[in-house]
Amino acid sequence: MQDQDFILFEDYLSGYLSLEEKQAFETRLENDAPFNKAFEAYKETSGFLEHHIKNTAGTEAFKANLERVSSAYFNKQVPSKTKRMNPWYYSMAAAAILAIGFFIAQQFSSPVYDDFANYGTISLTVRGTQNNLTTKAETAFNNHNYKDAERYFLDMLETDKDNIELQLYRAVSLVELNKYDEADKLYNNIIQTPSVYKNKAIWYLALSKLKQGDEEACVNVLKTLPEEAEDYQQAQELIDKLD
Amino acid sequence: MSHKKNHEDQKYIDGLVQNNAFVIQTIYDKFAPKVINYIKQNSGDVANAKDVIQETIITIYHQATEKGLQLTCPFDAYFFLLCKRKWLNQLKKRGKKEVTINEEVLSKDDDAQELAFETSLFEQQHSLFKDMFQKLGQACKDLLTATFKIKSMEKVAESLGVTYAYARKKKSLCIGKLTKMVQESPRYKNLKP
Repeated sequence: MQDQDFILFEDYLSGYLSLEEKQAFETRLENDAPFNKAFEAYKETSGFLEHHIKNTAGTEAFKANLERVSSAYFNKQVPSKTKRMNPWYYSMAAAAILAIGFFIAQQFSSPVYDDFANYGTISLTVRGTQNNLTTKAETAFNNHNYKDAERYFLDMLETDKDNIELQLYRAVSLVELNKYDEADKLYNNIIQTPSVYKNKAIWYLALSKLKQGDEEACVNVLKTLPEEAEDYQQAQELIDKLD
Repeated sequence: MSHKKNHEDQKYIDGLVQNNAFVIQTIYDKFAPKVINYIKQNSGDVANAKDVIQETIITIYHQATEKGLQLTCPFDAYFFLLCKRKWLNQLKKRGKKEVTINEEVLSKDDDAQELAFETSLFEQQHSLFKDMFQKLGQACKDLLTATFKIKSMEKVAESLGVTYAYARKKKSLCIGKLTKMVQESPRYKNLKP
């Protein structure tokens, strides 16, 4: 292909051609197979560049997020690699477990909120686009400073009121602050949406009920959690313990 | 483009596009164990599995954001096939021959085979484009980067200190050059189905 062809391809793609030129170009595409093939190749390159260059920040943020989840997941797998222990330690460990088990059994006869409430760490900031408030909210939440976190989420929701992820984290913070009415209302709103956070909201709502001591409501909410939900197993465990 | 109906597991693809940490976590919880097992049974270890899974997810992300990947089969089968192929290719490169390929168990889903094949092609193509872009002259690289970041060609010309007409012409010539480099690469002929 000649330079002239590339210039013509670009003019066509950028919409610089006049109506007549455009029609002539399209006719040639239909009748001239090598020309058509060269144009498709050019368009493909342009499409690649468009994505590759424009989405650099998005790709970086995705890779960072993925690395975080992946490392956390594989760190959990590590026990299979640990060294073999001296058999002598097993009896000591068994004795210790017995003692601890006895202690725990005395302390908690029924499942408590803290056994199940594990919200992990959240990640709201996207590299390159983070702003101060987002970082503050993320840090406060991850440090279990729910009082500040709740306030930051509320501020962020003022400009981004339909952001379901923020609503979910705000509700979690509210539960931690024992502000159940507001939290449950938020969860129920999220449950009504088709969002990806729907099942999380059901699970968290159940935890809120558990923390409020309303075991019956907790079980009723748990039973609405669909089987494909990530927390389904945990939910079944909790139902068993409460029944 | 096929006109098959999307599978309900499209939600995983959409979640990746949205960079949703919950969805990424779910993919690991649900689908990683099978891949880890397979790799462990075929001359690999957990660290290999970690890399294979991560690379596969990045490829799916690229195909979804760049080409609007539509899932026509269960994510499970598709994802496993991709990871498996990636691992077998790595073993082949290392020169290990003793690989158990248990195709019968895996090829039940034709849609998954087809889609996984398309994704592998996409991956090779994507990496070829990326490598060739790196090899492009600095002037072209700068101009193209500016062009695709800044929408207006007037501003591109201004930022690079060239005339508008020159910037427009140069853009098409640089894309043309990259297209030629890709097509002339020995890797290119393997990319057409």
